[in-house]
Amino acid sequence: MTERVTGGRVTGGRETGGEGKLGLVLAAQHDRLSNCVHCGFCLPACPTYVRLYDEADSPRGRLYLMGAVAEGRLDPASDAFQLHLDRCLGCRACETVCPSGVEYGFLLERAREVARDARPSSFLSRALLVAIQSPVPFAIWMGTSRLLRWSRIPSLLVRILPSSGMLGTARFGMAMLGASLPWRPPAMRVEAGRAVRDDMAASPATTPPPGPGERGRVAILTGCIQDQLFRRVNRATERVLRANGWEVVSVSGQGCCGALHAHGGALTDAREMARRNVRAFQATGVDWIVANAAGCGATMREYGHLLEEGAEPSAREHAPSEDASGPNGRADDERDRAAGRWFSGRVRDITEILAGEGRSPRRGAPLPIRVAYDPPCHLLHGQRVRTPPLELLGSIPKVTVVPVPNGDECCGGAGIYGITHPDLGGRVGGDKVSAVLGTHADVLVTGNPGCAMQIGAGLRMKGSGMQIAHPVEILDESYRRAGFYAG
Amino acid sequence: MTSVAASAPPLDQSLVRRIRSVVGAEGLFIDPDQLLVYESDALTQYRHPPSAVVLPRTTEEVSLVLALLHAEGRAFVPRGAGTGLSGGALAVGGSVLVGTARMNRILELDSENRRARVQPGVVNSDLTRAALLQGLIYAPDPSSQSACTMGGNVAENSGGPHCLKYGVTNRYVTGLTVVLPDGEVVELGGLEREPEGLDLVGAFVGSEGCFGIAAEIELTLIPESEGVRTLLGIFDSMEQAGRAVTDIMARGLLPAALEIIDSETIRAVEASIFAAGYPTDAGAALVVEVDGVDAALDAEVAIARACCLSAGAREVRIATNAEERLALWRGRKKAFGAMGRLAPDLLVQDATVPRTRLPEVLRQVGEIGRRHGILVANVFHAGDGNLHPNLLFDRRDPDQVKKVEAASKEIMEVCIRAGGTITGEHGVGFDKRAHMPLVCSHEVLRAMARLKEAFDPLGRSNPGKVLPDGYGPRSGAGARGAEVGRGT
Repeated sequence: MTERVTGGRVTGGRETGGEGKLGLVLAAQHDRLSNCVHCGFCLPACPTYVRLYDEADSPRGRLYLMGAVAEGRLDPASDAFQLHLDRCLGCRACETVCPSGVEYGFLLERAREVARDARPSSFLSRALLVAIQSPVPFAIWMGTSRLLRWSRIPSLLVRILPSSGMLGTARFGMAMLGASLPWRPPAMRVEAGRAVRDDMAASPATTPPPGPGERGRVAILTGCIQDQLFRRVNRATERVLRANGWEVVSVSGQGCCGALHAHGGALTDAREMARRNVRAFQATGVDWIVANAAGCGATMREYGHLLEEGAEPSAREHAPSEDASGPNGRADDERDRAAGRWFSGRVRDITEILAGEGRSPRRGAPLPIRVAYDPPCHLLHGQRVRTPPLELLGSIPKVTVVPVPNGDECCGGAGIYGITHPDLGGRVGGDKVSAVLGTHADVLVTGNPGCAMQIGAGLRMKGSGMQIAHPVEILDESYRRAGFYAG
Repeated sequence: MTSVAASAPPLDQSLVRRIRSVVGAEGLFIDPDQLLVYESDALTQYRHPPSAVVLPRTTEEVSLVLALLHAEGRAFVPRGAGTGLSGGALAVGGSVLVGTARMNRILELDSENRRARVQPGVVNSDLTRAALLQGLIYAPDPSSQSACTMGGNVAENSGGPHCLKYGVTNRYVTGLTVVLPDGEVVELGGLEREPEGLDLVGAFVGSEGCFGIAAEIELTLIPESEGVRTLLGIFDSMEQAGRAVTDIMARGLLPAALEIIDSETIRAVEASIFAAGYPTDAGAALVVEVDGVDAALDAEVAIARACCLSAGAREVRIATNAEERLALWRGRKKAFGAMGRLAPDLLVQDATVPRTRLPEVLRQVGEIGRRHGILVANVFHAGDGNLHPNLLFDRRDPDQVKKVEAASKEIMEVCIRAGGTITGEHGVGFDKRAHMPLVCSHEVLRAMARLKEAFDPLGRSNPGKVLPDGYGPRSGAGARGAEVGRGT
């Protein structure tokens, strides 16, 4: 039973200490929570608030609920805490408009850890996290998915399955899988070779191709789902980097970045995955760690924070060890923390490596297509990378880039939000799909697998044939046509 | 001040059913845990959880909901986006909170007659964004304009940086569809700017939710200025900036805005993601904006620049494009939120003094802060003498809370002694009602109480606000959740 302050003024002193471990996890975040001055500027930026109009489903409201748990006056197992935190898309659009710099995404992950400790999360969410983490089930799941995708059965099912109920969810899943298929670039004209050369000759003088590896050494996070369903994006990333003078180092022993675990509050698992990646990449001593999935990049940029807390009270409680130099002793912790900070400082999105701050990728062959760019939230809000993808696309001759109206808003993908919250996710996703369709583009371009599949599924279910691609895939095609990869 | 409320009981099942049948399941919240998030507005010093939150969508729904509450004798409090800074949207005594968030449609935008008719939940900047497509704007621009709603603007008679030249909300409201506390719908004013009879629109604007709910608002729009120039003066001291303001006004200029940001605020803003590039060692920054016919503006900028320099400005920056203009403004518009960087808690004061007394009052405000050991950061609409001292503290420290209360009261007294008043634009709300007798005589307060009684005879609309204890309609025990603040 929690005690509530019913009216009256808040006087000094904490109302009641956050009782128990759950309250403590959030109470430890007091400084971060109290950065919120309750001004309400975040309300119009929140996709759930502007659809439900309940302040409990606004960033300010969710922070308030976290604060109430920290103060010990709200039970983390309560319906209110569980529901409203679960409903958050985690898009972090609120961070972009917050004048106080509240680290909402960080706090959400901690709050979700508290929420899932208080009450188990849904079966679907748990199953997903377990599947990603366990090599054999993951291999089976992904193998089946690829086979199914290859069979083209998903497209058929999208056409025949009903749009609501359990089968509706299955239909959505199939549409997502179908949307992960490679894009089909427009056919080259017969005399393309000459036309390409003419176009290139007509374009402003290009700098000579950079020598191999002269820009520096980079390593790519190959990821989990990205590696299985979007391996072509990883390959394109590698080719494009090499063509721009980067040496690409392969990293063995790397794995899933842990983003979905962190977002879901499974921080212990996320930390374990972070440690593994930090060790694998640190051994390479590269200049930059390149992410081509926005969600992964955002999480990897926060490894420093994540590992910083690795040995905080919550963890120590489980092992009140007198042996500080044991397997998880102080020395190891400190090494992990330093490595985490190093890692975070090195992570860049692929578009930032190639474009932005006056830099521009090497100029390839013309590609006469109209692309709509939709920024992934974890690139735009999570990593504050706004212009490099646009500059990258803009550098490709003959590519017309059109913005997606209200593009700063989330697509509703948010992991498996579309499956766990079909109604609300469907409303957010439906608005995005309408906006995308309104651009009349040939290709929708976005730099995150989740967004690609979410928007792609929506397009497929509306019967649209619009293609979906990652920004580097467009650049890669331009390079292929320019003959950069020949010989 | 004591105001410990006996909270109203939860709504009974039949009332819940009846309200749901009006607003739907998504329009009524009664879970006490969920209601926690509604216990404060942007003034977090007080917590008064409502007994329920209702979100109607239309005027008819507002009317039906208020009629149901009236029949049960329940008090209510209107709420827009909850960005108010005087506690005006607190559900004192566990009133039922009637939110206007779902009433966010622009009903009509008539560009030829420069008029708009909106629902109260429309966000201020969304109205201007829509009007701009026709070359028009809605002039009052509170610093919270990206989030605050038109209903709240009407209730608070909101101002904003540009109100020095353009005036505050009441200048733009021409008509209102008001739902009175018993559910009756009345049309006040209308298309004519000077309606026959008593100006009831004028009475309603600024009534802080105490007269009922504005369910539709008719507004005047104005053409976007042909040109606008923004200038930023950086000064070593507040006195210099104050002198520049006085000089600019004395030279006969009427800038669209004259805003001062003090050194503490500059540092807070520069540490936030809205860093505007103000030098962190400056004593004060002055934003001057002039607008109007393009041809005249360069001359006005030259005058303003000369005034700044002769007052001792170390640097004057002039924005040359829209982007630079936004950057110069950013430091002012985002100042309040950026304060969250400096301390866990923040109390924003709001007072007005005669413009010429500004430097002297500011010096005293600084002294009060130093004496109590409380950091005070100031931003203000210097053109009309409207101060916003921000008192920074940590509420977990009871000692600091006491000091902040004392300092806040002293600041108000200083302003009153300088010939000022206790609020410029945030309203009296819950926070300042006890101070009303400092600026209003018994007779004036009684007149206000009688005006409220005409609109709200049973005292059920936003009880416990504006009027101090001892004034207001005698509701007896009739209004559940409205027993607060009766008698002393």
